[in-house]
Amino acid sequence: MGSNGHTNGSSNGKTQRSTWHSQYPELGTAPVPIEPYISPEFFELERDRVFKRAWLCLGREERIPHPGDFFIKDLAIGKTSVLVVRSEDGRVHAFHNACSHRSNKVEWQAKGSCAAFTCPFHGWSYRLDGRLLAVPDEKSFFNLDKAKLGLTPIAVDTWQGFIFINLNPEQKLREYLGEWADALEGYPFAANGATCYEWSTELRCNWKLLRDAFKEAYHVAFLHRRSARDSYTGRENPFSHALYFKLFPLHQRWSLPANPAYQPSPLEAIAYKYASFVLKSDFTREAPKGVNPAGAPNWVLDINAVFPNYTIDMLENGYFTYNFWPLAVDRTLWEVKVYFGQPANAAERFSQEHARVTYRDLIMEDGSTMEQTQSVLASGAKTHFNLQDEELLLRHDNKILAEYMDVANGKSKARRKGSERHARASAA
Amino acid sequence: MPELRLPDRFRDLEPVAAVWALPTEAERHALRLASTIAELRGFYDQIFSRIEDMLAYLSEFAVANLTPEGHHLMHLAFALAEIAPAVELYGQPEVPDGYDSRRFLPVLGQ
Repeated sequence: MGSNGHTNGSSNGKTQRSTWHSQYPELGTAPVPIEPYISPEFFELERDRVFKRAWLCLGREERIPHPGDFFIKDLAIGKTSVLVVRSEDGRVHAFHNACSHRSNKVEWQAKGSCAAFTCPFHGWSYRLDGRLLAVPDEKSFFNLDKAKLGLTPIAVDTWQGFIFINLNPEQKLREYLGEWADALEGYPFAANGATCYEWSTELRCNWKLLRDAFKEAYHVAFLHRRSARDSYTGRENPFSHALYFKLFPLHQRWSLPANPAYQPSPLEAIAYKYASFVLKSDFTREAPKGVNPAGAPNWVLDINAVFPNYTIDMLENGYFTYNFWPLAVDRTLWEVKVYFGQPANAAERFSQEHARVTYRDLIMEDGSTMEQTQSVLASGAKTHFNLQDEELLLRHDNKILAEYMDVANGKSKARRKGSERHARASAA
Repeated sequence: MPELRLPDRFRDLEPVAAVWALPTEAERHALRLASTIAELRGFYDQIFSRIEDMLAYLSEFAVANLTPEGHHLMHLAFALAEIAPAVELYGQPEVPDGYDSRRFLPVLGQ
């Protein structure tokens, strides 16, 4: 689908005469409807046709390095709680966190390590691989078939150490990730992710508003005028135009340049002496070809997006990830994880700390827009978003979401609406 | 809790460390938000002039091998990182017009 977005070797990949959109004519250029961001009916369709079918990333395997290590992910959009555990043979398993007795949550701790799971309600216990281990007062039950009363499994697989689950898989994980994944394999995700820092927050907005906020850099010169503007923009590139876009059938890759004239802040300059979070010139030569895909000397950041709700943003010395978890049509759980390598010494650890708190402040600037936008979306004052060329990923996301929903359930109302929308977009 | 010390050549910073060298991001961030920008600038000026020497000391140790005094010094350096955006970029303790960072919660021990 589409062609390679890299068009030349200049500091950004778009020439004066071409647009990114011209490389993906199937997307059209029409305004994008707001309705899917405010419609409770659309939200329920997203639940059934997207989040109950798509592969969803729950973070890295390093969360559960040893047999017996587990974590819980309460998955409101799947109306369940997911128990992810490493069993004695080293395999990763996922289960609905529900007891076979009366469906109480078996595990109540957010994470931990254990030899077996015991339901707090009546003491039913399960092995790490989900098999039912013991039932207190078993003789008082009627014809229990313990072999059939294990925890209910959920499809789980890993790619490059990332754990994905799927509530109703139609294809294998690697097939789902497709060509998008090829060019990232071999990146040292484990070594560069040896330490992880995580934040989470619940926003009063639709999950797609949050997703969209991290899919374009047009806002950098304005929203980030006090912080990141000067590291991403500059005289040569005042609107933070991209180096590269590549759209896959479900997923996306996007690459951004740094401002070569950027002057770090006083403490940043000192912190960089011990670990730089901007490009070292020798880095991308050793990296997989999906890193700095335009081969630009002023590369700083790649955004790798996995449909529907995950992004892996890769820098030189680490990466950060976002999960956008829908809770309700106007509520979203945002999980942010920052990954670094193991610091060689305590000064490098300081540099990591400096980078992550500066970054935290930066995304507080981003975070302010979502609830402000949501608070006026339902007014009906505006019916469409008007997107520019550099907002390509927002257009693509909305298109693939509609298409993915249509595929699930044949000629539904949503399918017809989606088709009309595509027809309008194509006609534009 | 016994009073925490700093490595010998940083002993003069112990009074400011007693206030600022807090062990967690949540505590350091809360103190930033509870401070005035004048207080943050005062702390910044005092520690910024010493940070290169502090990092030279810290670069000699893996984090796991730091003494309690070294850990305390690292936490003092972390406090400078915590408040630096307020002083260098924002001119106020909170991110201007930003999302309420009190709602943006560190998840511990991931």
